[in-house]
Amino acid sequence: MKKTVIGGLCAILLSAVSTLAHAETIRIANHGQAGIDAMKSTVERIEKKYGVTVEVVEYPAPDKDYLTKLLTELGAGNAPDLFSIPTTAAVADMVEAGYLAPVTTEFKAWDGYANLYDVAKQLAVSPDGETYVMPFMLGIQEIYYRKDVLEKAGISTEQPKTWQELLDRAAEVKQKTGSYGLLFPAGVSWGSGAFDEGFQHLIVGSKTPQLVDADGKLDLNGEGVKDVFNVYKTLIDKDLMPVQPLLGPEPWVVPKYEMFPAGKLAATTCGSWCYIFDWGRESKNPIPDVTKIVGTWTVPGQSGGQYVLANLAAPWAVNSKSANVELAKKALMEIGSVATQVSYAARIGNIPASKDAAKDPEFQKLTELVPIHAAAGNGVFLKQASGFGTVAEGVARATEALLRKETDAAGAQKILVDYVKETLGDDMVK
Amino acid sequence: MARNSHEKRTERQLLLVLLPSLILLLAFVIYPALYSVYLSFTNEALTGAAALRPRFVGIRNYVRLFNDAKFWNSLFVTFVFVMGSAVIGQFVLGLISAMALRRPIRFRQFFSSIILLPNAAPEVVAGFMWISMLAGGEHATLSRIVAFFGIDPADWLNAFPLSMIIIVNTWRGIATAMILLTAGLSTIPSEIYEAARMDGATPSQMFRRITLPLMMPTILLYMLISAVSTIAVFGLVYALTRGGPGGATEVVSIYIYNQSFTAFQLGYGAAVAVVALIISLILGIGYVRAMKVEV
Repeated sequence: MKKTVIGGLCAILLSAVSTLAHAETIRIANHGQAGIDAMKSTVERIEKKYGVTVEVVEYPAPDKDYLTKLLTELGAGNAPDLFSIPTTAAVADMVEAGYLAPVTTEFKAWDGYANLYDVAKQLAVSPDGETYVMPFMLGIQEIYYRKDVLEKAGISTEQPKTWQELLDRAAEVKQKTGSYGLLFPAGVSWGSGAFDEGFQHLIVGSKTPQLVDADGKLDLNGEGVKDVFNVYKTLIDKDLMPVQPLLGPEPWVVPKYEMFPAGKLAATTCGSWCYIFDWGRESKNPIPDVTKIVGTWTVPGQSGGQYVLANLAAPWAVNSKSANVELAKKALMEIGSVATQVSYAARIGNIPASKDAAKDPEFQKLTELVPIHAAAGNGVFLKQASGFGTVAEGVARATEALLRKETDAAGAQKILVDYVKETLGDDMVK
Repeated sequence: MARNSHEKRTERQLLLVLLPSLILLLAFVIYPALYSVYLSFTNEALTGAAALRPRFVGIRNYVRLFNDAKFWNSLFVTFVFVMGSAVIGQFVLGLISAMALRRPIRFRQFFSSIILLPNAAPEVVAGFMWISMLAGGEHATLSRIVAFFGIDPADWLNAFPLSMIIIVNTWRGIATAMILLTAGLSTIPSEIYEAARMDGATPSQMFRRITLPLMMPTILLYMLISAVSTIAVFGLVYALTRGGPGGATEVVSIYIYNQSFTAFQLGYGAAVAVVALIISLILGIGYVRAMKVEV
């Protein structure tokens, strides 16, 4: 009996000591092995610099499941201290929910701030004027096309100037090679990609290039929205875009990792990461000499202009309910370091948001990304607003109806508007 | 008097023994159910302003729900799914298996094991396994099988989504049906069959006049269990199709998930869950009445 009591007391003591020893622990959420690997040196640096233990918790992929788990935990109050947000569209909604700690003061005082591209700084500012995220990486997106496939078929590789020219080029590819001409991610399974990697490219060059009016209301009834859906409809009706794979549970696998490397899909929207992760050295199905074989076009506007889309690539933020917000903010600034940016660029292929990265010898080795980094400041973007997460889901549903040939462009726009109104209320939509 | 006190003590002891179960039931069943009802009258959300300041919205979620074509679609899909997989598929195949395995056949244990195998795989694992079976393209398993008979390969999950999830759920549920129905069959005395046989009854007459009527309580019990559990099937459908394409397989459990954890509208999702609960209760009461069981 005596032994049991003493044993019990020892266990309690040990547990208390162990709790105290881990008092300075911060938990960070990351997903995918590439992301975890990219953060490894940063984690070690944070631990050494601040004398804390960093616990990396692996979250599920794809992004949609990651966001669901993160929001559920934030809602329940047991989320990690630091986390990345898989889609920029979710940031404003998370700010409104009170999940993110403002970091404006620390961000502006941080020594890396001055050297960030302006587009990164602008993208980081939320509708309330505060900054809540570290915009350390940019997703710079364009249209990637198979130069070799087009040249072999005698098709021009010149930059298309308008939507019509882009559609004509896709039709010519189909006619002369039998390959699909152009892919815009679409449908529900692709999650936020249907918005981030598809719809956004076209809306910024449409007649109504923004989705938010001055009062912060969502303007979804604009002519541009219908016109964008009409581009999808044309691609689908003329069989210029692969439809069946997009309706499956992992819609990116067949077109991005199989058809494009095989030349059965001639062009697709993509970001700089495609040169590394999708078809480059980190790919399971790489295209040899990828930068020579795969060229890029900017996305043409409806009747002219050229657009390179800039997004924040999974920006990091601090949990407002973290037990140690100040420490988490310090760690956030470490995540913004050039070293971390270069590490991410090497493994995932996003573009460092700091101009200083150009001077980094390790970054200079990433020859695929250097020219894109140099041009990153020219990116255009959609103004963020509360409700964008819902708009992204509405776009996914609308494009899925188009993929299934259940509606036309006007019908797709109605699906989007109805979904957003049903979810957020009539007064949120102009 | 002494006996009364003994009875009271026994009663107290019984209550004490039941108390842990009661507490667990209250904590994990009753409280969440009541909390869901409360949530269904709010605009609680996982994101946006409503996450920070949820408010009471009365019956707004229910009004929205009854005007929501997607909700009605999910009910219809659920009805077809339950009828197809639980009532027709699992029951019919389960009964055939139970009757077949009742006869003296060789390798009986082997066949029993094969029928029980689907239950060994968790829902999601089974779902992923079937995705590889039903994938599109000429190299997918099912496409290769049908190609042997001269049929073109298809993307089965996209071309026939509801039929496919019905088939997969039927496959998974046969074992449960077989076990329950075997138990029911074993309660029918063999003398009845012998007497009928001597009277010249055909196998079909014996099935219709003896087996089915005497099995009716077991059948109804099975129907109750399978219908209610099929309404709640989530993992299998989520792994296979996530409710798509285009809502074609969006059963009510997936619809609740989509509203709560894709659209992040917890209040609305709770309202759908409450309606689903009421439907399950009505169904349950209907079956219990049919079984003539006192409640």
